Amino acid sequence: MDASDDASLPVLKMILIGPSGAGKSALLTRYCDDEFEPDLSQATIGIDYKIKRLSVRGKAYRLTMFDTAGQERFRTLSTSFYRGAHAVLLVYDISSRASFLTMEKWFEEAETYTVEGIALCLVGAKLDKADPASASSPTSETYEESSSSQQHDDDSGSSGGGREVSTEEGKALADAHGALFVEVSSKTRENVRKAFVETVNRVVTTPNLLDKVRLNRSGSIALENGGKGGRRGSKVDDAGAGSGYGLGYLPNLGNLGGCSC
Amino acid sequence: MGENILADTLWDVVICGTDLPQCLLALSLSRSDKKVLHIDPNTYYGGSEAALTLQDADEWAARLSTQESNAVFKAPTISRSKSAPNLSTRAYSLALGPQFIHARSELLSQLVSSRAAQQVDFLAVGSFFISKAASDGQRHSMIRIPSTREDVFTTTALSMKAKRALMKFLKFVLNYEGSENADTWKPHAEAPLAQFVEDHFKMDLELRSYIIALTLSIDGKITTQDGLAVIHRHLTSMGVFGPGFAAVYPKWGGLAEIAQVSCRAGAVGGAVYMLGTDIKDTKTVDSISEVELTSGDKIKTRLIVKGNGGAEDGTDISRLVAVIGSSLKALFTATVEGAPIPAVVVVAFPADTLTAADGTANKSPVYLFAHSSDTGECPSGQSVLYLTTSQSPHSKEVLGLALEKFLGSGDEPETPQALYTLCYDQSGGQLPGRQADDLNMVLPSLPLSLAFDDTVLKPVHDAWKHVMGETAVDAEYMTFPERNGGMDDNDDDAYE
Ligand SMILES: Nc1nc2c(ncn2[C@@H]2O[C@H](COP(=O)(O)OP(=O)(O)O)[C@@H](O)[C@H]2O)c(=O)[nH]1
Ligand SMILES: [Mg+2]
Repeated sequence: MDASDDASLPVLKMILIGPSGAGKSALLTRYCDDEFEPDLSQATIGIDYKIKRLSVRGKAYRLTMFDTAGQERFRTLSTSFYRGAHAVLLVYDISSRASFLTMEKWFEEAETYTVEGIALCLVGAKLDKADPASASSPTSETYEESSSSQQHDDDSGSSGGGREVSTEEGKALADAHGALFVEVSSKTRENVRKAFVETVNRVVTTPNLLDKVRLNRSGSIALENGGKGGRRGSKVDDAGAGSGYGLGYLPNLGNLGGCSC
Repeated sequence: MGENILADTLWDVVICGTDLPQCLLALSLSRSDKKVLHIDPNTYYGGSEAALTLQDADEWAARLSTQESNAVFKAPTISRSKSAPNLSTRAYSLALGPQFIHARSELLSQLVSSRAAQQVDFLAVGSFFISKAASDGQRHSMIRIPSTREDVFTTTALSMKAKRALMKFLKFVLNYEGSENADTWKPHAEAPLAQFVEDHFKMDLELRSYIIALTLSIDGKITTQDGLAVIHRHLTSMGVFGPGFAAVYPKWGGLAEIAQVSCRAGAVGGAVYMLGTDIKDTKTVDSISEVELTSGDKIKTRLIVKGNGGAEDGTDISRLVAVIGSSLKALFTATVEGAPIPAVVVVAFPADTLTAADGTANKSPVYLFAHSSDTGECPSGQSVLYLTTSQSPHSKEVLGLALEKFLGSGDEPETPQALYTLCYDQSGGQLPGRQADDLNMVLPSLPLSLAFDDTVLKPVHDAWKHVMGETAVDAEYMTFPERNGGMDDNDDDAYE
């Protein structure tokens, strides 16, 4: 399949949120690259988003997955990060009660800045640590802790090693928000693919969700030069729903610069 | 990575504030290996360009009323209609200083070449109107300002004589830098444009008000030189991105969105972000600034870049933001075939057309930007109006009058009502005490204009050069390759 075909596929935007150190980047890296680096807290630098081509129930999509770029560390995620999302993975660390306790706020933020009815999935990460045997061995895992003396509600606190949040509690919180729930381990791969599969499945089976998100974007068209289409809604403007205007799509682009006024 | 990234890093630059210029600097550095710490005393992005929810606006207003008087924003008042007590605060995104961007602005080319534009939705800015008082002085009606040849031909609002004058003028402006035309206007470069068009194009008062409206000059006294440049920009921007419009507006609150997207790009490139954090104290040791932040963190940096806190031009303006309980659908229509539906429309009330209770008429024009719900600044079925005029003892009253006339000028059976209004003054005076030296740079704030002014881009470029030092390659400024999303063929995944 070549790039121009890709550009015409419907784009699904998924974002990962949750406290710093919960395991978001590890989850994304495991799913997309099948890699796991036990101590790579800076791994997310330079990664804006990852893309996967998906075939769901026989229909092709382009799934773009956006990581927080570390902006959650001091709780400085911008509202623009949430725009146009079809799905949100809300990630906490099952070995950190503190990380779980921030999830109510993350749900609130996700529900505030996204279109109603999008697919939410609560993800309990680091499932491998639930097993006391592996938990007792001091892993090299470090939390990306804020050194700031200011109170940052995202610091998940140090984890004791074993499970601090029961599966039942996680499930109950997810149910309260109508979210899916999966516990995963990026280290062992357990349930990693499941988290993504079930969430995407919910996106494509939720009636009108794609239309709703598109309308919320006012029919913006792909902006990239040459139509390689790195992002949302490539074709959606054909429906003529709105007044969004894509710069990259327009012919005179090369002449933009050099205005003296 | 150590335990304490803030203290353990020698930062190449600490950027203070998330006004657009600072954010563009962060964007420009986002592909460099420079260590960037970006902080803002506010708890939201955008500084003077921020877009606020209703709750943010309440908090912003409350904070301002306890602040010292040299703040950029002053005297905020908020009122809510009793008939609409329960507005959902998060559904709003009110821009503190809305500006649209001309199609030929260098800002747009930088956003495209830096790939930041991919994360922004741009909407079309539609027609400019003049609000004209009927002869009884009561009801105002709106007349679309003809600004293309076709417009001038087809308009019924002008006499033949006026049409000829306008046509001649538009032709003149399109080639105003040509030597013959330059000879005509250069001797009057510093004189008011209104005077120039009266003398050289025999324009009457009404036609002059059209011309001034096109310049969006806040006090209406724009010089011939500046005015011709602005109208030239307007005319040559027409049609660049599609038929029927000359400018674009970023969805979700205008420049605030560009500020946020730029910061995200900075963060992707490794910059660290802290909101609600200011510089408390700075001392210099061996050409390094040792900075104490209000968070208590102590950091070291080679350079501090701040905004100057206010625009340099010394103008002061009054603003009124009103959420209207109507979509004002009739206003947002495409005027040319194939044109997108505009999300922003401009209405000008010329000087001397609004009379305060004590009989004084407005000395400066009032500009009203109508934003449809397509901007994402309000829920559908509503719209947001942004009114601006020069500050005066009467300015708030005049803004209220303009709002009233505007709402009464439509054809709707019921006059639309304001559900919420926010009124404030904004000063363009430069804050004292922001000195530049080897360890400190100052980025000028955006001028208090209604359209984005490219002059703020140069200081950002200079700051980038300063930070990059010898590694600066001008040709690479704001020109970045696509970030690799990591897609290759084995990234396919099939779900049953
Ligand atoms: N044992 C274990 N450690 C994990 C797992 N996922 C992430 N980590 C570690 O937790 C730390 C933080 O992970 P990261 O993905 O950077 O968290 P983020 O801040 O949410 O992106 C890193 O040291 C990871 O190696 C997991 O599934 N099991
Ligand atoms: Mg991360």
